Amino acid sequence: MRFIVGVDIGGTFTDCVALKTSDDGSPPEVRIGKASSTPPDFQTGFINSLRTAAEMHGVSLQDMLANAQVYHGCTVGTNALVEHKTAKVGLLASRGHSDTTFIMKAGSRLKYMPAKYIAHVAAQTKPEPLVSKDLCEGIDERITFDGRVFAELNEDTARAAIRRLVDKGVEAIAISLIWSTANDAHEKRLRELVREIAPDLFVCISSEISPRVGEYERTIATIVNALIGPPMRNYLDALEVDLEQNGYTRSLQIMSCAGGLIDSDHAAEAPVLTVGSGPVAGLIGAASLAKTAEVGGGRNVITADIGGTTLDVGTIYDGKPVRRPTASYGQFEYFVPTLDVRSVGAGGGSIIRNETGILKVGPDSAGARPGPVCFNRGGTQPTVTDAAVVLGILDPAYFFGGQITLDVAGAEAALAQVGEPLGLDARETAAAAIQIINNQMADSIWLTLTQQGHDPREFILYGFGGGGGVHGAAIARELGLKTVVVPMSNLAAGWSAFGISASEALVTEQTGMGLASPFDPAAINAEWPALEERVRQKLIKQGVAPKDIVLKRFAELRYSLQINQVEVPAPDGEYDAGTVETLVQTFETEYERLYGKGSGFAAAGFGLTGLSVHGTARLSDLTVGEIAHGDENANADPVKGTRDIIWYGRGKEPEPARIYEGPRLGVGSTASGPAIIEYSDTTVVVPHDCTARIDTTGSVVIDLHDVA
Amino acid sequence: MTKPDPKAWSGKVHSYRPAADWKARVDDRLELHEDVAEVLDPTDYEVIRQKLWTINLAHGDTITRISGSPVLATLDFNMSILTEDADVVMNAPYIQFLNAGAPLGIRYIMENYSTAPGIDEGDIFCCNDPWIAACHQMDVLFAAPIFCEGKLFGWAANAGHQYDLGGIVPGGWPQNAEDVYSDPVVLPPFKLVEKGVMRRDLEALYLRQSRLPDMVALDLRAQLAGVRFAREQIVQLCGRFGAATVKAAMRQMVDQAQESFRKKLLSIPDGTWTETRYIDEPMPFSRTTQRTQLSVTKKGDRLTISNAGTDAQTPGTNGIPFVTWAGSITGIISVSMLYEQLFAYGGCERQIDYEATPGTLTCVDYPAAVSGGILHAVTMMNAMQAVLSRMMAASEELKGDIVAPCAEFMLPVLIGFNDRGEYFGQAILDGFACGSGARSFGDGVDTGGPNFSPLSMILNTEQLEQWYPILCLYRRSDPDSGGAGKWRGGNGLRLGITPYRAQSMDIVTNTGGQGATSQNGQGLLGGLPSPASHYVIRKGTELATLMAGKRLPQTAFDIAAEETLWLGPKSNGTPLSKGDIFEFRVGGGGGYGDPLDRDPQLVARDIELGAISPDAARNVYGFDPEDSNARSRLRESRGKWRKLETSDETRVLATGEPDLAIHEYVVATDRNGERVLACAKCGERLAGFSGSYKDGALVTEVAITTIPSAPDPARYIDDEMVLRLFACPGCLTQVSADIARAGEPVFEEMRLAAT
Repeated sequence: MRFIVGVDIGGTFTDCVALKTSDDGSPPEVRIGKASSTPPDFQTGFINSLRTAAEMHGVSLQDMLANAQVYHGCTVGTNALVEHKTAKVGLLASRGHSDTTFIMKAGSRLKYMPAKYIAHVAAQTKPEPLVSKDLCEGIDERITFDGRVFAELNEDTARAAIRRLVDKGVEAIAISLIWSTANDAHEKRLRELVREIAPDLFVCISSEISPRVGEYERTIATIVNALIGPPMRNYLDALEVDLEQNGYTRSLQIMSCAGGLIDSDHAAEAPVLTVGSGPVAGLIGAASLAKTAEVGGGRNVITADIGGTTLDVGTIYDGKPVRRPTASYGQFEYFVPTLDVRSVGAGGGSIIRNETGILKVGPDSAGARPGPVCFNRGGTQPTVTDAAVVLGILDPAYFFGGQITLDVAGAEAALAQVGEPLGLDARETAAAAIQIINNQMADSIWLTLTQQGHDPREFILYGFGGGGGVHGAAIARELGLKTVVVPMSNLAAGWSAFGISASEALVTEQTGMGLASPFDPAAINAEWPALEERVRQKLIKQGVAPKDIVLKRFAELRYSLQINQVEVPAPDGEYDAGTVETLVQTFETEYERLYGKGSGFAAAGFGLTGLSVHGTARLSDLTVGEIAHGDENANADPVKGTRDIIWYGRGKEPEPARIYEGPRLGVGSTASGPAIIEYSDTTVVVPHDCTARIDTTGSVVIDLHDVA
Repeated sequence: MTKPDPKAWSGKVHSYRPAADWKARVDDRLELHEDVAEVLDPTDYEVIRQKLWTINLAHGDTITRISGSPVLATLDFNMSILTEDADVVMNAPYIQFLNAGAPLGIRYIMENYSTAPGIDEGDIFCCNDPWIAACHQMDVLFAAPIFCEGKLFGWAANAGHQYDLGGIVPGGWPQNAEDVYSDPVVLPPFKLVEKGVMRRDLEALYLRQSRLPDMVALDLRAQLAGVRFAREQIVQLCGRFGAATVKAAMRQMVDQAQESFRKKLLSIPDGTWTETRYIDEPMPFSRTTQRTQLSVTKKGDRLTISNAGTDAQTPGTNGIPFVTWAGSITGIISVSMLYEQLFAYGGCERQIDYEATPGTLTCVDYPAAVSGGILHAVTMMNAMQAVLSRMMAASEELKGDIVAPCAEFMLPVLIGFNDRGEYFGQAILDGFACGSGARSFGDGVDTGGPNFSPLSMILNTEQLEQWYPILCLYRRSDPDSGGAGKWRGGNGLRLGITPYRAQSMDIVTNTGGQGATSQNGQGLLGGLPSPASHYVIRKGTELATLMAGKRLPQTAFDIAAEETLWLGPKSNGTPLSKGDIFEFRVGGGGGYGDPLDRDPQLVARDIELGAISPDAARNVYGFDPEDSNARSRLRESRGKWRKLETSDETRVLATGEPDLAIHEYVVATDRNGERVLACAKCGERLAGFSGSYKDGALVTEVAITTIPSAPDPARYIDDEMVLRLFACPGCLTQVSADIARAGEPVFEEMRLAAT
């Protein structure tokens, strides 16, 4: 008996997915333990969720932990940033460039802001700086783009600067110098000086945290890392003590935004890697399901994680999640190797309102508090969830398996009030709002795919999170997709925790390059061994056996006169002129696929801008596709009854739909629309002309081929 | 003269302006899709509006992705969706004026070419003629007709900046062009893509004059792909919702923008607001300045916009064509009054009448040089921003949307060869990190970027050093570069570079308005203008010695040099050698309100953060920690300013209406049977209701260098420029500050219309 335990801490709940595997070949059993999150000491809720899951497996917490591997999606860093409960950080930057983080590349900071904010110039501002001006020190030194030392590091003035910061009580120091990607000697020496002067301070350098060319995003990454370094260290220390006291002896694995697990020491040194890892875990779970079981029958998958506040959109192309080199924290953009998950302000809590005679939905959300009107927690503005209740999509008596009774009359009254000036009654307002939010979700997915250079019609959709099953089919219809998957039915609501337990170990090491073609093979050969060795050492430290490590090389190139940088797989072994030529050809093929035929200008040559090595290793022998799914009472009639539902878009008159008790639908069962399939945490809407089928993984697969 | 006459305003000598009956000249065989669904479901409306916005954004993404060009990546383009008769339904949050020519160009094409060569499904037209549709030749317009059900349903258009289209200076900003024959090539509209097929002969013609034809060809494909993409998506949208429903939504968006704009105008009292701005050096080293004037008369729900008072055009690059002038105006209206409508500015155009005098600097006739004058579009946008902000100050509802003008645009271009013998020649676009203007409730944003192009950005220093053989010694916020005021303008930045691994390097300077001599952003309602910027080369510095001692310079002036070369607003190639430092300042935004009204704690904080110098704090804000009387002394010194001799004694009878604030410090009120303009702080009468409030103010005329960190304009121009300050004679509050050529009569900022 062994356990793989994935824990994901959310704002309201801590989800624990515990998978029990046995040696007799029977499929792993899955149980979900839910506990309230317990800020600021999140480790308490963490342990509580483990205990619940253990009980559901019929074992004690200690017995489970003694035989478990614990994987953790850690939101402590993210929360510290959101709540501004971060360390006091000092910055050491190259003299003349310490204002970079205030300048914020001017309008670039608005790139990911909502359209309305971008348009309203008089209301625009910059956020409070991450490091205040008096804590930014310019250091006399300068490296050039080719790695030469233009001005040597002035250690005397540097020491004085560090002392000033220490005297001002900083708790962490971020070091980011111009062109440290080309030569990290000055950054490393500065770190030594900090350690001499203040050995206990958390200190990090940009050439290790985020070695990419572009000082603004690199500096922000290093600062964000320093801001959450101390709180992360405290949390992980406390958690590891709690786990140890309950009998856990292995190393704790932490989910990173790059889409794999790193060990807790690594996470404590580079906590910036944990920011945004929750939504990434969902994408990993989906990729794992798509790859091992080909659920839904496609290798190109859009993931729509629909929660209370946001829709998180991810893309899996040809079985692999799409990556990107930057993430953002408010208006601050920073470099971090991450899976490309984009958040849009649309979810169950999105507020429905009348704005000068036009019905608008979101992006503001009622969140968990006060929440939708129907939750009766003080919410007065109607939300998408209220609309779903009024339309009959959600069963007011069976929300969260009946744990929350929904106030239908309250929701109706609030919707009627918003709709009244527009001449709409409560039901019409609800129907319009659901159509608007579905379209917004579909539009943002469409824009994401267009920006990535994909045709949406080549994709299937995985819908998870609380609202994935509710909106999935409608979004797919908007996008012209033919298949929707609600992965592993009731697991869909806690999908991130599941994704964590399905993850592999992943370590990425990268280095910035500034080579112009023809590339010197020797310059490339000089980098690989060091990168590979760093990856290997980190994985071994993580508890991985050297034989299990799989290394993959990647190179980032661009055309000399064009700015799009494209990462492509790079050949193994020693490089010669032929290998370099292969690399360039791979780049040209991939560039053309992404940006269109003839869009590259090869005559001016190529630039090699970065090299990276990804090391992965499986941490367990878990195969996602084989997990035992619930088909309890499979003999009982799965149809619970019928309910009148207003199918928005088909008029305001209710039409009856069959209501299925999800857990009673065994593998191969089908349900034809109009229907609703209800699980304790997940509701799946099957519209007219659609058919839902339960596949071997227990996932609900909705077929839209007959939809006009 | 003022109503567009199709013969005079034909785009030949005067700019093209469609006459009211332009549609009558569209060939009958071109069927326009004018069907509008009678009933538009509100849900469909919101869904279609959202989809059009998304399609327009994806249109832009298609361009940047396919082009990969660093120029287009800084978003030096804009894209729009238009109705069949070229009303703008969607514009993007990039450089606002850039695609202003689309409605003009499309109407020109419909009026002139609907018979031959005709307008057909699959066609794409191209144009860079500044007398028809381009802000200057470098911003090339592509417009694709969209057909539904065999009829012309609408248009997708974009305009984007090109690397090079010929002319006497690489890059397309020839500052020494006397007329258009020295400019990049001018191409009136032509059908580049015919029924889906690119005309190879015309493509060759388009590329022939360029120094970088391959790169221009790539961007051409990107721009074509953009309009094609938008066209396909809109056709699909029509297929799904029905063309008449989509058209109904488009009409409603434009109508709604119009209605919202109209309502906002109605909240402003009737009157005329005027702004005078100068533009330096028609030709490099000519040492003169020229005058422009912009007047906006608001009556009821309409605006009449005039350029009367603007100097006649002369040889050189100080002129802009009608499209650029009008685009500057609608661009500022978009960001100031149409932000809720996400730039559906087709509606606001219906409320505007232009009274443009042709042959003047802001409405030049053919064959003026225009390509190098594009930066004066920023000057005009700043003028419009000042005018509109003062108008909004007279509306309680709109006061919160006031923004003072941002800086003029400083555009140095580096040209030369790196040590591998490769040519480089591109502008440093750090002007996009200028300070933004102060607001009525808060400071401008330091290095926030121009109000007219919210998303424009600057590159990382490491990217600059990758692209050009330079080393950027410093790039930092520039203290005192924002205008002082109760709310100060945002500061700009200061950049210092030295050649690194360069074979040769020349610096070319291009500047809008008076950005390098007299001022950047205007001050509003008593706030000071932001000081002019500068370009300077320090030749033969001791940089090597300094570096050897492990020290780095903070500015070009804390290091010894053999010679200091100040570069003027326009210059064509000054060599920069190893060990030289080239420094330029990017300006800040204008200030708002009397600096003596600023909270002293904010002044102290600005000093602490290095945003202003202690000298500026003392001289402008009267802030001196050692001297608690500094502020009152500074205020009292205004008592010595002189009284204006005024002759306007027109009286307006009391109306019995409540007091109306029309300015931060001026209120319209009844006094002794008369409606007057009085000081809002002390009640002092400044003028009759329909007079100029400045008439009753005290005035002084001081050197421009009174503005902290301002250079002396005499270094570059012989016209004497002065700073004029106006104060209420009662409480000595500074109510206005402007920059004028010495000897000009006092500028009439505003005059309300008596009812």
